[in-house]
Amino acid sequence: MPDLRFEATINGRRVSRSAKPHQRLLDFIRDDLNLTGSKEGCGAGECGTCSVFVDGVLMKSCLMPVAKAQGAAIETVEGLAKTGELSVLQKAFHKAGASQCGYCIPGMVMAATAALRSNPFADREEIKERLGGNICRCTGYQKIFDAVELARDVQNGRLPATALIESDTDEAVIGKSVRRIDAPSKVSGRLRYAGDMTTPGMLHVQVLRSSHAHARIVSIDTSAAQAMAGVEGVITSADVPGEDGFGVFVNDQPVMARDKVRYVGEAIAAVAAEDLLIAQRAAAAIKIVYEPLPEIFDPDEAMRPGAPVLHDYAPDNITKHIPIRVGDVEKGFAESDLVVEETYSTQPIEHAYLEPEAGLAYVDHDGVVTVISPDQNITHHRHMLARIIAKPISKVRFIMSPVGGGFGGKEDMIYQGMLALLAMKTQRPVRLVFTREESIVSTAKRHPSRTTLCMGLKRDGRICAFQMKMICDGGAYGLSTEGVMRKAAILAAGPYVIPNVRIDTYGIYTNNTPSGAFRSFGALQTAFATESHLDICAERLGLDAFQIRRTNAMRDGATTHTKARLGSVSLMRTLDALEAASGWESGAPNSRGGTRGDLGRDDNRPPCALGARLASNRKQEAAE
Amino acid sequence: MLTCDEYITPVTLADAFAAMAAHRGRYRIVAGATDTLPWARQGRAGDVHIPTLIDVAKIPQLRELSVGDKRVRLGAATPIQRFLDNVALARALPCMPRCAVWFADDQIRALATIGGNIVNASPAADATPCLIAHGATAQIASARGQRTMLLRDFVTGPNKTALADGELLIAIECDALRGYGGSFEKVGHRRSLVISLVCLAVLLRLDAEGRRIEDARLGIAGIGPRPERLADVETLLRGAQLGGDLLEQAADMPVDLVASRTRKDYRREVVRGFMLRGLINAAKCAGADPSVLTGHLEAAYA
Repeated sequence: MPDLRFEATINGRRVSRSAKPHQRLLDFIRDDLNLTGSKEGCGAGECGTCSVFVDGVLMKSCLMPVAKAQGAAIETVEGLAKTGELSVLQKAFHKAGASQCGYCIPGMVMAATAALRSNPFADREEIKERLGGNICRCTGYQKIFDAVELARDVQNGRLPATALIESDTDEAVIGKSVRRIDAPSKVSGRLRYAGDMTTPGMLHVQVLRSSHAHARIVSIDTSAAQAMAGVEGVITSADVPGEDGFGVFVNDQPVMARDKVRYVGEAIAAVAAEDLLIAQRAAAAIKIVYEPLPEIFDPDEAMRPGAPVLHDYAPDNITKHIPIRVGDVEKGFAESDLVVEETYSTQPIEHAYLEPEAGLAYVDHDGVVTVISPDQNITHHRHMLARIIAKPISKVRFIMSPVGGGFGGKEDMIYQGMLALLAMKTQRPVRLVFTREESIVSTAKRHPSRTTLCMGLKRDGRICAFQMKMICDGGAYGLSTEGVMRKAAILAAGPYVIPNVRIDTYGIYTNNTPSGAFRSFGALQTAFATESHLDICAERLGLDAFQIRRTNAMRDGATTHTKARLGSVSLMRTLDALEAASGWESGAPNSRGGTRGDLGRDDNRPPCALGARLASNRKQEAAE
Repeated sequence: MLTCDEYITPVTLADAFAAMAAHRGRYRIVAGATDTLPWARQGRAGDVHIPTLIDVAKIPQLRELSVGDKRVRLGAATPIQRFLDNVALARALPCMPRCAVWFADDQIRALATIGGNIVNASPAADATPCLIAHGATAQIASARGQRTMLLRDFVTGPNKTALADGELLIAIECDALRGYGGSFEKVGHRRSLVISLVCLAVLLRLDAEGRRIEDARLGIAGIGPRPERLADVETLLRGAQLGGDLLEQAADMPVDLVASRTRKDYRREVVRGFMLRGLINAAKCAGADPSVLTGHLEAAYA
């Protein structure tokens, strides 16, 4: 494959280098020039973390073959603050608190720069439209739009430059907007996430993943992969020197599949090679013979006797069952004027942090196995890894790199073990960077749930009995399922005084992608059922949705269903504030007429539309 | 991941045909490359090796743009963004700016080309139904010569076109429809970077009073294997007095064309709603007398 000679101007400097004909502009900028402010969030043109200017026009560098940029003038985020002084937009992002995890921010700053270069007077709608190609998972975008509007007004002289300056922070910080000290590193693209880190002699890792949901591994033949030039190490479960198993509550997951695979996407082997292409080709050359096993994808079916069993230690496929019993629900139902039963379900949800999983590992000069990754639980993982690789804790080190979004999705040690083993086997630094597809296929999701809820109430809305059974699909491995089931059960009956409560939450093994931690940790699934149910009951009783909640609300000094005494309860204040802020029209949930009085107010957000710039073009035309 | 042994960027048509001949059977043409790169990823085509990529986006004939009184000529490598930033083009092709603003995002529109959108031949391609409504023809060239055909015949099915081995789509010619009101309706999952479930282009020319439809052009996509022109609806509308009953009648007509493999009932409902909304929006842009568009329809669908 003959290389091509690539010549361009990058951030004002002439570059003349050889490049691979298949390289994308993003690969060249990141790998060859080490300009890592441009990120790869998706590799498919969807997220905008890789945006760069090519001859003055913003483009997604993951969609551009490097040869296409031949001879062009390219500007990356590093070019915006070349001398270290942040641009007006970068300062505005800092001032407005527009960066959180920061992974989307270099691309966002580039898109905002392009928007204001195209129209220095763009209004908020047009700014939204022009930033449409860039995704942020943390902020909800409002602070980003605030920042762009602030920068626009400073650039136009409508606001003084001092509007960008840090406000006086001598006073107490509680109740104040405090600037993030890491924001300058994020808005400038200088902050290096794990996938941006390189070290001399570093190898690249490709993981081979299961194409079966449930199968016995008859054999793994790595000989062809081992024999390839440029391959420095291949590992399978046979390379684990210690006790192979990790998890949060139960160590049921091997570093790589051992004896059998339990879901599509499970790691089976990993290759470290001189470059990623070699590693990919070697991984593809590993031969695996599977013997298919019966698969189970529905948690209800998995609970039935005779269902296929995933883990020998759990012959009933139950990862965890959490029961809560208070009073006597049968008595409560007997006393009720109305009994309502409904079933609610929620789907698996991907965390979709903009930074796909990545890590860099090496064995240092003292023999300490070191893993750098955006890991949300490094201390626990350090202890687990020491056991897995049979080393004293003093010989294992975890370094937490900046987390480009986690939301609970980076709490599991799903790849750090492979990195450690490859660093030990090759005695060279190794780096693994997930693709977006790999991240979605192989990592934990929010637990999908099916909840049957039966509630008994008096005519005035008082809840006499609450009975809930929630079955959650925990997928192939335990991960955080036990904790999620606990919190789901603890919070299931809501902040309501209910004398008779029966709650059962079950986390079940299936051959689906494992479920794990996700912000709210089980409370979402049960709260969705309970709060939806309250609205349905209010409708049946002809009660106002706020009234039914106030009637049942816990007050200061209440005791929860799990016997916790609450000193103060803010529910009544929360309901008051919510009722006022939402413009609630009192009445039963189904009592609304054809027109809604709460729409079209200043604090409403209208449905999304496009064409803001077409409207401004028309104005321009009319003026001509 | 997409890999190749060679990336060729010809700067003349003759060079392009020579490269195609030299690498026959082992090349793929790219223009913007914005469809090709995401295609070669896990979950779609996976890792793909194409020995030779031939990038036609720098050939001058394919970049040419001319806006005449009657016809508009668009080089096949014209980026989609031109429909937004070229005022003369926007006036001659009244539904294209709204189509372009819903097309991917600013950054992709700067790279993605009109020819690429057509040749990729996705049943959900946004630009094709608009151009079909503009009476577009496709200009095809090869080392042997040139030929021209109607764009609606050029797209033969999902990812299929009438291009033969050794041929390139070099330009699109279509009717300049200044003074027409244009609209483009599209439904997808979010604002930017959306693939259409259904998209509809409507062009209307009204009389001076804004009451009678002098001409109507409609193109639809996303509801079957290839984009369609709605000739029977055009016949109904042409010469008719604008009014709520007429629009309701027109809106029902294409509902039975929905032949998608998925979400058929949903698409049928969308088509009806889009027809009303598209016709009303186009009529408004064409200067319709506000009193003839019944308030009920306008509130519900505009």
